[in-house]
Amino acid sequence: MVNLPERKVGIVSCSGEGCVEGTISRIATRLVLEKIHPENTVTICLPLFLAGGKEERAFAKDYPTIAVDGCDKLCAKTGTERHSGKIASSIVVTELTNGPNRLGSRSRRKLSDEDLALAESVAEKIAQEVDKILNRWR
Amino acid sequence: MQGRERKLSEFLKTVFGKFELRVRKGYYYLEDGFWVKVEGNRVRLGITDYLQRTVGDAAFIELVKKGTRVEKQTEIGTLETAKAAISILSPVSGTVEEVNGMLDERPELVNSDPYGEGWFVILAPNSLENDLETLMTADDYFKLMLKKLETEHTTVGV
Amino acid sequence: MKASPSERVIVVPCSGIGKPLGSVSREAVYELVENTRKGVTETICLALLVSGDKETLQLVRNSRCIAVDGCPMQCAEKNLKHVGGNLVASFRVVDALKQNRKLKPKSVTFLDRDGLELAAAVAGQVARKVDEILTE
Repeated sequence: MVNLPERKVGIVSCSGEGCVEGTISRIATRLVLEKIHPENTVTICLPLFLAGGKEERAFAKDYPTIAVDGCDKLCAKTGTERHSGKIASSIVVTELTNGPNRLGSRSRRKLSDEDLALAESVAEKIAQEVDKILNRWR
Repeated sequence: MQGRERKLSEFLKTVFGKFELRVRKGYYYLEDGFWVKVEGNRVRLGITDYLQRTVGDAAFIELVKKGTRVEKQTEIGTLETAKAAISILSPVSGTVEEVNGMLDERPELVNSDPYGEGWFVILAPNSLENDLETLMTADDYFKLMLKKLETEHTTVGV
Repeated sequence: MKASPSERVIVVPCSGIGKPLGSVSREAVYELVENTRKGVTETICLALLVSGDKETLQLVRNSRCIAVDGCPMQCAEKNLKHVGGNLVASFRVVDALKQNRKLKPKSVTFLDRDGLELAAAVAGQVARKVDEILTE
């Protein structure tokens, strides 16, 4: 087997449908993948990971992985640790806000400008964690 | 152990991101991403792992009918995915003897088993030796794939 | 339209983050639970289910559930079955592409027009199934 030399960081997002912070964590993860660190990050699909996805689990086992959770139920973190071992870093969106908004007026489907801005700042936090990991390799 | 080693050596492999990309040894390849497997006096055709990964989840496949005469590098069908519609090209000339009917109900076989159950058609070739000479070996296609990964890495999944 | 909490149909998207079809599944379910079948359907976090959240597990075991998956990996269906959820129907967004050939959703993060249209089509199919289930 030939391996291309790769410095990649995995990001697993909770994507929780139940609250707006789940949507924020999903969008923040995608922003890192598409715009901030497109060459150094890989997204791990949590539903596929939990359903037994071999590639997702193997990646999270061999490469540093950052868990991004919407709330303190920590589904991404605990799911990843259960199947692939310790994660490199954990970010919880509700720790950056005033707590979960399950029944509130903020839309979990179409983020308000305020929540989009929050997603961008979560993306920056994720990117900083990615940078820390990449710097350790240099 | 011997059995496992035999199974492992059927493919040339590389890892890109979280994906393992494989090229089946012993097959012949068109640069566009289609393979030929010689089976006695017939050939089986299909899509490479790299190409299926690039085009995405197969939604449906349309293939030529049994009895159709095809020319090398001409279209024998179309593969439509969520992302795109691509022409399926035949690497060799011949007459279609069998069409993979499983793909009507289960187009995802193209993604899950591109070198096995995801085959497209079986042909009776009419100029096999000549046609094979113009195709790539597994080693050559593997090198091409590695080169594509270096330059086109954003298109292989996420 | 309203149903008591115990009668509501639970609709679970895969929300796969790697492909547009995952985003379409999520949007289709939101369209259902927040708009066209509001009051008679509900959604849950798939990950909570797998992490063993008691409340979520009880809900899916005691309610009629529909899985809406993006692709043939069918993670929502698999995970629901794995935890003993009462799965009564499954949908795959990739199958909806056959009836909507012109739609080619490209974006994952924010669905483009094709993605939104496909989500609406899937939501329509699932809504008809919900109606069937509620009249049984």
